[in-house]
Amino acid sequence: MSNARVESEDVQTIEQTTTGETDERVREAWLDYEFTGETKLSTTDLDVYYGDDHALKGVSIDIPAESVTALIGPSGCGKSTFLRCLNRMNDRIAAASVDGSVELDGEEVYQDGINLVELRKRVGMVFQAPNPFPKSVRDNISYGPRKHGDIETGLLARLFGRDDREKEQELVERSLKNAALWDEVNDRLDDNALGLSGGQQQRLCIARCLATDPEVILMDEPASALDPIATAKIEDLIDDLAEEYTVVIVTHNMQQAARISDQTAVFLTGGQLVEYGDTDQIFENPRSQRVEDYITGKFG
Amino acid sequence: MTRDEYQQSLAALRTDVLAMGDLVADRLDRALAALSTVDESAARAVADADDAVDQRYLDLESECIQLLARQQPVASDLRFVASSFKIVTDLERVGDLAVNLAQYTLAADRKRFEEVDLSSIGDLARDMLDDAMTAYRTDDAALCRAIAERDDELDALCQRASERVVRDLIEHEVDEGDSWAVEELMDDVSRLLLVVRDLERVGDHAVNIAARTLYMAESDPSLV
Repeated sequence: MSNARVESEDVQTIEQTTTGETDERVREAWLDYEFTGETKLSTTDLDVYYGDDHALKGVSIDIPAESVTALIGPSGCGKSTFLRCLNRMNDRIAAASVDGSVELDGEEVYQDGINLVELRKRVGMVFQAPNPFPKSVRDNISYGPRKHGDIETGLLARLFGRDDREKEQELVERSLKNAALWDEVNDRLDDNALGLSGGQQQRLCIARCLATDPEVILMDEPASALDPIATAKIEDLIDDLAEEYTVVIVTHNMQQAARISDQTAVFLTGGQLVEYGDTDQIFENPRSQRVEDYITGKFG
Repeated sequence: MTRDEYQQSLAALRTDVLAMGDLVADRLDRALAALSTVDESAARAVADADDAVDQRYLDLESECIQLLARQQPVASDLRFVASSFKIVTDLERVGDLAVNLAQYTLAADRKRFEEVDLSSIGDLARDMLDDAMTAYRTDDAALCRAIAERDDELDALCQRASERVVRDLIEHEVDEGDSWAVEELMDDVSRLLLVVRDLERVGDHAVNIAARTLYMAESDPSLV
């Protein structure tokens, strides 16, 4: 059991909430919020700046392992910025600076000398638009493990007595099965991945992520470009993945967050994390009036 | 549907549920009056008019389903629609009970058991229903809890009335050789006990409405 902590030094506004509580009291309630399972990711006083723009303000939150945590909120509220902090993708943005702490299994992600390739292998990411490589389905899956040296199938390797083609086949099959795509593409593993439908491409990207054996999967609106059938398959897949992986998903679709997540964190404008709790509680009886107004469409 | 239209739909649902509450309360008033004054034509009018209540119930059920399907309400909106969906069922049942009361009026021998005070029971049940709909209109959680407490009072009145009927039945002298008289007496007794039971059920439905309203207002399921 872990306590989830959500604080924001910059947010001191006293505001009536749905239960007559103040935002401060809502935050105090999070101090007592307990979830089942161990903490996988933990942030403390996390601030992100893009130049002078204070994009994320003092977010402290614990994310439980082997569950789905949804991040919701209006555009520009900082939820994608927060997601990208979790595997240091913000490092790729020159103007971005990060203060505070992010821990993965208790180990500081922002410590000097951390191996970013290894970090992003442990904390994989799936983006909004499907972005398969213009290669075969098989090569898309095995690309990461090859880069990491986990699979060698080249001529040189074979000359030195190493041939991982059987291992690669097993990896491809396992990854595609885990991404619920195997049945649809097993007879065209050597076809170009760009020939797949949008929904299949997105599941291929998830399979590609799974191939590197991650512990956490970050998803930034993974179904926003997909039709309802493809979306349903992605949502079913996320539900299955949560049995083994820690999934953190950003979505603009609140019904999707309500359907698939165990915990929901609500970010509102100004980079504030306003409420965090069980998804059932957030969507049935949010403590914060601002969250109530946002999710019922009266604000934002 | 825009967000404004959505908000208007929610407001319309509340108005329509309250209108159904008024309709059912009117039916109950007429049934109780018919019972009290032995007005057969009024009783027949109540019995014949149940279709209007049923139709209102079906319309409101459809209204709730449309809102759920098209708007996927959450938080207080969800609690409101879900509670309204349940409350209209209770109102429809109260409408049925009003019809039952009217039919008992048409069939009963009013000369027997005049000492059983049905009007006090009916007034209390009617007041509880009225208060339940007031609580629904105003999101009054305190009133919801008060209604639940008053149900004990109604139950006690009904219990006393039933015991009185049974005691009178035991004391009643009927010529055992007159099988027709015995049968008539038994019919009257069972009808009267059914009247008491149905009035008690009106109170139970009022408590149900209060329970759903409390959940709607404060997300408190303690009375459900």
